[in-house]
Amino acid sequence: MIQKMTLAVRKLTIFFLRDLATARSYRAAFAIEAVQALLGVAGFYFVSRLVESPQLSRALPQGGNYFAFAIVGFAFFDYLAVALNAFDESIEQARQNGTLEVLLVTQTSLPMILAGSVIYPFVVMSLRVVVYLGWAIILFHFPTHNANWAGALIVLLAAILAFCGLGVFASSYLLLFKRGNPAKWLLLGISGVVSGMLYPLSVLPRSLQTIAHLIPVTYALDGMRAALLGHASFAELWPSIGMLLLFAIILLPLSFLSFSRALRRTKITGTLTHF
Amino acid sequence: MAEAIVLENLDKYYPPAVSGWRALARPFAGLTEASLLGISFSVGAGEVMALVGANGAGKSTLLRILATLLLPTRGHASVAGFDVVRNPAGVRRQLGFHTGGDGGFYPRLSASENLRFFAALNNMTSAAATERIARVTELLGLGEALHRQVRTLSTGTVHRLGLARSILHGPAVLLLDEPTRSLDPMAAAEFRNFLRDDLVGRHGTTLLFASHTLTEVEQLATRVAILDAGRLLACDAPAALLRSTATTTFEQALFKLTGRTLQKAPA
Repeated sequence: MIQKMTLAVRKLTIFFLRDLATARSYRAAFAIEAVQALLGVAGFYFVSRLVESPQLSRALPQGGNYFAFAIVGFAFFDYLAVALNAFDESIEQARQNGTLEVLLVTQTSLPMILAGSVIYPFVVMSLRVVVYLGWAIILFHFPTHNANWAGALIVLLAAILAFCGLGVFASSYLLLFKRGNPAKWLLLGISGVVSGMLYPLSVLPRSLQTIAHLIPVTYALDGMRAALLGHASFAELWPSIGMLLLFAIILLPLSFLSFSRALRRTKITGTLTHF
Repeated sequence: MAEAIVLENLDKYYPPAVSGWRALARPFAGLTEASLLGISFSVGAGEVMALVGANGAGKSTLLRILATLLLPTRGHASVAGFDVVRNPAGVRRQLGFHTGGDGGFYPRLSASENLRFFAALNNMTSAAATERIARVTELLGLGEALHRQVRTLSTGTVHRLGLARSILHGPAVLLLDEPTRSLDPMAAAEFRNFLRDDLVGRHGTTLLFASHTLTEVEQLATRVAILDAGRLLACDAPAALLRSTATTTFEQALFKLTGRTLQKAPA
């Protein structure tokens, strides 16, 4: 058991190092990203100054200022985008450079290959969030005095598991139909509108609020804002964490099943490497 | 001799190649295009068998089925006793596979980083990978290329790198699709010697390879399977094939078995 776990960790590490080495060969990218993050945060800050009012603050679930509300929503919504894009991109890239077949004949299981392929994008996304929050704290008075950082981390991990379920599910489509991924765009589009990324759910009509409660990103943003801005304890975070874990428990096995079926279909039709 | 590869009545059909509106209307078309038909043969442990046939004869399809990258439509195939459909993970534990292409690497990683990555995915420890990479790359003349990014290497060098990867973890069964296609004549001869003397002679590796180079087939293979339009025309030792076709060269035997005649250029 311990030997298997050591081997799994070693394989996940080697996937991470592979992607790190590739990224390192594009040297300017990280510096550009840091500047982009600063510009993004600054934009939110100035828009929030324009719309800030006591009325708006009262409408926010955790109170406080709109800048903090929006920056948390914007930064953490991107984890969903990463989950939905990372699996697709790794498959697309492996098809194009011819590594897909080579990966599939190694002694590494499919779930491990999929998990390994998204570790780096999630680590980079987390660094991006650190840069976002860093700029927001240093330059724009983002409130951190009562943040429950450990709680936020647990919400994040549960959210990543749930989002990965959606990501693997959506990438089954890419495996079968090669181009375009309506499932991905539909999920991102609907989540962008109803999850409360930039506004509280209370402004939505009741029908959209119902839809919002059927998607995991709503609980992720809710839990993250409660942990970072609303001084929430672990007990208060539990409803969000529980729902995210429930999504993960349902979505992960289903998504691996759908991906395995899609892969099986490509092995029948001989289209595994087609793009 | 125990059987390392067994094929029994293997059929493989693909869906018809359609595009545009027809593909949209029938995304899951039936499997109607035959690629392999009733293929049965076996390869003994430590034996070297060559697959020979024209383009589209089904050689690559056969190798891909054995490598668990394609599913057969009917029949059975097993590698080292593991069924390719029921136990693909068992098959992959015994297998080395070279696809024949010149890709399959991460272009911005060095040759060494690529080999280490795939060695780890084949459960090799870091120390074992270091030792084996040094040995295999020396044998294949890859020493200087080892620390260069793959995107800067020549086609032939990337091909050799692919061969190195396929044998790195010391597989019991090795499947090679046109192993010397992009190699210069000297590198090809050296690689053939390495396959015959080291991998097969010393380590008892079972080798099944597809090739269009008939001298290579004659030098390496103890038996040859000749495929044509998905059917197995013959499967025997090279000398026995010449005898049974009453020919003196392998090329003549191939023409005779496939029923084709050599077209002469117009005067």
